[in-house]
Amino acid sequence: MATTSTQPATIRGITSCVPARCFDNLKETLAFDKDEVEKVVRLAGVKTRHLAADSECSSDLCLAAARNVLGALAWPPESIDGLIMVTQSPDYFLPSTACLLHRDLKLADTCAAFDVGLGCSGYAYGLWLAAMMLQSPGFRRVLLLHGETPARFASQSDRAVALLFGDAGSATAIEAGNGDNGNRWWFNLHTDGSGYDHLIIEGGGFRDRFPEDPHKHSVRMKGRGIFNFTITRVPPLIEDTLAAAGISKEQVDYFIFHQSNLFIMRHLAKKCGLPEDRIPLTIGEFGSTGGPSVPLTIANGGLKRPAGRSLQLLLLAYGVGLSWGSALVDLPSSAILNHVQLPAAEAAVQREPHAVNAVGGTTV
Amino acid sequence: MTTQEATTWIARLFQESVERLTPETPRDAVPAWDSLGELTLMADMDEKFGIVLTDNQLRAMTRVDDILQVLRNNGQITD
Repeated sequence: MATTSTQPATIRGITSCVPARCFDNLKETLAFDKDEVEKVVRLAGVKTRHLAADSECSSDLCLAAARNVLGALAWPPESIDGLIMVTQSPDYFLPSTACLLHRDLKLADTCAAFDVGLGCSGYAYGLWLAAMMLQSPGFRRVLLLHGETPARFASQSDRAVALLFGDAGSATAIEAGNGDNGNRWWFNLHTDGSGYDHLIIEGGGFRDRFPEDPHKHSVRMKGRGIFNFTITRVPPLIEDTLAAAGISKEQVDYFIFHQSNLFIMRHLAKKCGLPEDRIPLTIGEFGSTGGPSVPLTIANGGLKRPAGRSLQLLLLAYGVGLSWGSALVDLPSSAILNHVQLPAAEAAVQREPHAVNAVGGTTV
Repeated sequence: MTTQEATTWIARLFQESVERLTPETPRDAVPAWDSLGELTLMADMDEKFGIVLTDNQLRAMTRVDDILQVLRNNGQITD
């Protein structure tokens, strides 16, 4: 069953976070000639990107976002029943990044915390999981974190990806309950594993742990395949979700697209007959940040929010896997939307040192 | 659409003069037919003709006539 709905939950707040370093594609790119850079910038729409330093991980971005949203909501750590960390750029193979964040946020040991290894589609899946958890007795508050540092695994000599990716994290605070209007949340979730190699980092995992070819440690993207996938899969994703929910395009306040590429998003908007003023864009400022681009765009996309009425958002998340999904959710008028920037070196300062023994550690 | 009209469309797509482009023109001779040009071609094919090009089709395209052939196969060229 790819299409489903859940009891309504309530988004209380979303905070996004980017690293301090802002890279200007037109002014600072040296690897390609100027005309080529201008052409790519014009097409993909990425003017600037925020890049994580070598010491900054997706967890650092999510930690800063989580601290902000929890502080703004005055939610004490012990009130969080579940923490979901969606990422494909974890700190370690093990333990789960969610466990590190659980420690850093000083959450209670009654909190369920786990990682979800999805990329561009991750926010739709994460919201679905959060909504499912909140239907379970005992869960009242869930923190959904979604962070990626794709710029750290993109080769700067690969023209297909070098100018595209930025890094970002996000934290979404979700609570059981009906929000402003009690609409059910609708989801449409899909996978096509035959396209697993359309976006892939071939080395470093257990299939090829120490490849000699250094390029295998960087992401490789088959642009044609991704574009074909996107224009084939996203239009029915929109239609099917709206049909299942029994609403029309006109009833959706905003279509929040994964900010993959300006050219692709514009093509999709045209193909699906969606008005551009209801498709917020943040790719120009932040680049393609993977799945976190969806909450980043909710927080930074200049959404007009009428007082006393929830916005109905159709979130569209698609890419690596190949995996794609939608979420039709309400954003209450009272929900907090914040954006923070990670101060340089915050990761080193704020994090407690990880106690890792090189040898002879305790067996788990 | 005639072959000439389709060739004109391709010339405009790749910002070439119509006089310079023939069905025999190789891809290498069309500077804008690079990886970004491919995306433009895919988008226009989809938007104007409802044809979604596959990776294999794109890889097999080495001259202008290969694009025309896709249009012929999809009933878009009538002469």
